[in-house]
Amino acid sequence: MIWEAISLMVLLALLAYATGRLSRYSGIFAVLAGFVPLAMLFDWAPTAGLKHLISLGFEKSTAVNIKIATLHFSITPLSWLFLTMVGGIFPFIALYAISYFKKAPGGFFGSMTLALVGATGVVLASDLLTFFIFWEVMSWSAFLLVVRGRDRSAITSYFSFSALSAYLILFGIMVLRSEAETLSFSSLSSSITSSRLTLLAFISMAAGFGVKGALMPLHIWAPRAYSRSEEPFVAYLAGGLSKLGYYGIFLLFYSFVGVSVITRFGTFRGVPYLGYSLAIFGALSAFIGTVLAFMEDDLRKLLAYSSIGQLGYIAIGIGIGTPLALSGALFQAVNHTFFKAVLFLAAGSVYYRTGRWKISELGGVAYRMPFTFLAALFSIFALAAIPITSGFAAKWLLYVSTVDKRFVFLTPIMLIAGVGAFLYSFRILYGVFLGEPRYPDIKEAPALQLIPMWILVMPLVIFLIFPGKLMDVFGEIFAYYGLEGVSHTDFAITTSLSSYNTLAVIFALMGGLMVAFIIYVSRPHRVVSHYDNYLSGEIPEVHEGLSLHAATRYYKPVEDLFQPYFAHGAERFYHHIEVGLEGVGDGLRRLFKTTVSNMIYLVLAGLLLIGWWLTW
Amino acid sequence: MVDFSSILALLVEGVLLAALGVLTGILFMGIARKVVARVHNRVGPPVYQSYIDIIKLLTKKTNISHGWIFDLALLFSISGILLTLLFLPIGGIKLLSIHGDLFLVLYLLAIPALGFALGAGASGNPNAGIGVMRALVMMFSYELPFIIAVLAVMIYYDTTSIATIVASQSHMRWAILVPPLLIGALVADMALQGMLMEKPFDIPIAPHEIASGPMVEFGGKYLGTLMLYKATSIVVETTLFVDLFLGGAVVLDPATYGAVAYAVNLVVWFLLILAVFIISVLINTVFPRFRIEQALKFYWSYDTALAILALMWIYFLYI
Amino acid sequence: MAEEIKEKWSKIARWASKRSLWMVHFCTGCGAIEMPPVMTSRFDMERFGMGSMATPRQADILLITGYLSIKTLKRVVRVYEQMQAPKYVVAFGSCTINGGMYWDSYNTIKDLSKYIPVDLYIAGCMPRPEAIIDAFNKLMEMIDRGEARGWEKYEKYYEKYKRNQEAAFNYKLEEVEEVEEERKGGEK
Repeated sequence: MIWEAISLMVLLALLAYATGRLSRYSGIFAVLAGFVPLAMLFDWAPTAGLKHLISLGFEKSTAVNIKIATLHFSITPLSWLFLTMVGGIFPFIALYAISYFKKAPGGFFGSMTLALVGATGVVLASDLLTFFIFWEVMSWSAFLLVVRGRDRSAITSYFSFSALSAYLILFGIMVLRSEAETLSFSSLSSSITSSRLTLLAFISMAAGFGVKGALMPLHIWAPRAYSRSEEPFVAYLAGGLSKLGYYGIFLLFYSFVGVSVITRFGTFRGVPYLGYSLAIFGALSAFIGTVLAFMEDDLRKLLAYSSIGQLGYIAIGIGIGTPLALSGALFQAVNHTFFKAVLFLAAGSVYYRTGRWKISELGGVAYRMPFTFLAALFSIFALAAIPITSGFAAKWLLYVSTVDKRFVFLTPIMLIAGVGAFLYSFRILYGVFLGEPRYPDIKEAPALQLIPMWILVMPLVIFLIFPGKLMDVFGEIFAYYGLEGVSHTDFAITTSLSSYNTLAVIFALMGGLMVAFIIYVSRPHRVVSHYDNYLSGEIPEVHEGLSLHAATRYYKPVEDLFQPYFAHGAERFYHHIEVGLEGVGDGLRRLFKTTVSNMIYLVLAGLLLIGWWLTW
Repeated sequence: MVDFSSILALLVEGVLLAALGVLTGILFMGIARKVVARVHNRVGPPVYQSYIDIIKLLTKKTNISHGWIFDLALLFSISGILLTLLFLPIGGIKLLSIHGDLFLVLYLLAIPALGFALGAGASGNPNAGIGVMRALVMMFSYELPFIIAVLAVMIYYDTTSIATIVASQSHMRWAILVPPLLIGALVADMALQGMLMEKPFDIPIAPHEIASGPMVEFGGKYLGTLMLYKATSIVVETTLFVDLFLGGAVVLDPATYGAVAYAVNLVVWFLLILAVFIISVLINTVFPRFRIEQALKFYWSYDTALAILALMWIYFLYI
Repeated sequence: MAEEIKEKWSKIARWASKRSLWMVHFCTGCGAIEMPPVMTSRFDMERFGMGSMATPRQADILLITGYLSIKTLKRVVRVYEQMQAPKYVVAFGSCTINGGMYWDSYNTIKDLSKYIPVDLYIAGCMPRPEAIIDAFNKLMEMIDRGEARGWEKYEKYYEKYKRNQEAAFNYKLEEVEEVEEERKGGEK
């Protein structure tokens, strides 16, 4: 049944591709394909400890014989959770895409559906071979979509980093295979030993997954690919596909290698060194991503850097690895899926109506597109972890988990990155949506764009009120991997350090809002134009080309201080590597392009080398 | 099962404490003006001046708004700050503080600020945009040392709950009496100066330069609400400091002394936050204004260095 | 009963309004130099709850400190219209009354009350700080008695004021008329 479902999705992908020339509504096939994972999710709800609503008969695990190999699939609570992230948002993004493109791009919908096939396969895979095959399907169909952006630097960087990631993962898989003599997730960790080779495999696989998760310093491709591809795809890439990297890292810790082996490489206050270093990389991502984000003027690049920052939190949580931190990481992954998808979609809608990406050229969009603005505002609240959306619970769990372990480096870095998130959030809010009404004639985004956005906002509200429901799912995951759960009720999470009750926040806020509302209605007010503003008595209407929008280089004072430290740090590093590689390649070329006698010497030397190696 | 009488008690307590917080805050604004006037060798306004100001602003005959996003400033600023107030233990009265912790309070403080910033942004005035930028950068500046200092407290008491931190400091074992936490308190007090936007860190609202920044378009009931927000935030921020470093103003144990203890503790709470606030006001009167990048440099160098010293001291010698 | 409460409430509002007068200075004239002594320790106007505000949105008094050229008048009108009622105009020095030493200037307005309603004049070239403090006290008394109603007059005779302003902006000072009714209203 799983295999049939996957085949069906491939078929729909082909259909979407083939009918692309005929009608702009060919994307409907992609939407249909998106409902397949949704059906799986509902069918498998009991796996995650939820109520069983629909029974479609998807088997819990299956093995499929294709000519060359046997593919294994199975569903675990963890894969169920990640299937909600990669599958749950897909149909809505596809729906959005139908209205986003004026001409139907069959290639877009075909590749998107293929990426979904890959992602579904990755989360359902239960052996390393299946995992890798679908990983590559996902990676390369995403590559097709990056190519559609027609930006050379984005294409090359995505290509090289994806290839790097594939090699690293493949290398890790091969090493694990040779160590454990098995590829199945369930038996891998029991047969792995803590040899140096395992360590190498672990590091290379973590790096491979880190590329997809845009972990610093492997993030270089992300800002380029995110900022030069089509918006619905970017929403899926940032919201859905980037989570797969962390899915891989999670499995690496708990399934491929296993905690017992990892802790044998040494621990720091109960946390394995490997996990702790992952957390450090995560913290650096969170901080540097945030700082780069608020110095960015391109809306898409800003969101890309913010993605890097927010994904860093997931790395921190998985790295620390206590149930508290893991809940935080998973919670953050769920939140990030929805809010980042909505933000990219909202950015797409703004572009759809205004045709601008530069924040300094936008402004006052909210007055004309209030529903888009509200959706974006809600997701920005979630991004900045304001406690009136579910975003806060995730960050809170992570903060408490670091204080619990007394990691004096991680906590301040995370918190200051959290404050930094306010900075770039407001840059988006003010620069794009508020301020001077520069686009007085635009219309609200089409309903087909608004509906998906608002559906994707809903989880942020639901998990604000019921964080416990999500924690239940995490509880199933922890039980599956033999970890302790975090104590919680539907509305409250309790830890050994403190507790967080959402109901208290909601009711207190309502009380406050009542007071505010009384003041608000107590006196009448009159709405005036945005140009009826105090500008030292000056009248802006009479001046041609006067800009009232203070959004160019918004954080200039900070930029001036930080620029020397942050600008292109990692890129310069890769540039040096590139120059070095070019040098090596140049030398090799010179070697091969010489005279015949040199060639003979070269062949002789090669033969000698081979002979020496064979006899040694 | 839901216990209605306890919820009702909580409700009454919450309303009373919120009212107390707001009224105290407005009084403090008046006291600040009086103190500044006395330092300037002036008579100054009466201490109840700010009450009059707020009545006047809320009874203005006309008000202008720049649309519904502008109104969010009014709605979210006052509700957010009252919400935050309820999550702080005041003079040992726990209220909602058992349902949240320090991180929650730090993030709750962002609700009114962000609501206010939204309104300011929606006014369409460039001065407001610049002012909010400075306020956010100021926040980014003082949060780093403040967080590190607070982390020292959290690690020392091994909790993130403010109620537990207050409880651990009972019987006058105030955090400020622990040497590294004294440094922490110093750092937090400097951060408090930025939080309260007193000089030398009042660049976000610099009235003579960017026409009071974010507030430039606010008048009448909008400005009145913002004054209420400002007043309450004084109480919230100083109470946070008192809760963390000065034992939450708990001098008598309510378990043994009953209602008297609550009254005494509230009086002590009032005096302590007044003292903290007046120190801040006195610093305010003698300093000129830092530019925003100077403020960032100050906080991220001297203040953060001190904070790290406090944290390391706690980390290596006390736990 | 409702009337009584309304009366009480407006009395409270008037009291608060009188005790907390916030000004926006329009300091283009030379009289501005008299304001620092009024604010600082010698005369200290803050003891009456008065203070200077940065923007007209926040202010109650528009203080015109001296002569106004036609170019400045545009700004004054805009600032005045941006203020929120109840709002008061205090005109300062002889220039705002009859042009003062600029009585024959082609681009200086002569009588401010023809363009915006003035609640109180302070005579003198320039008035001393004592005179200013005295004027503010007078204004407070007027507010208490409900006499300072310039903003209501501005609403009532809006078109006349606008016509005068337009004439001035076009340098047709000879077309500027008295706002007759306004003067009569002031007598009552």
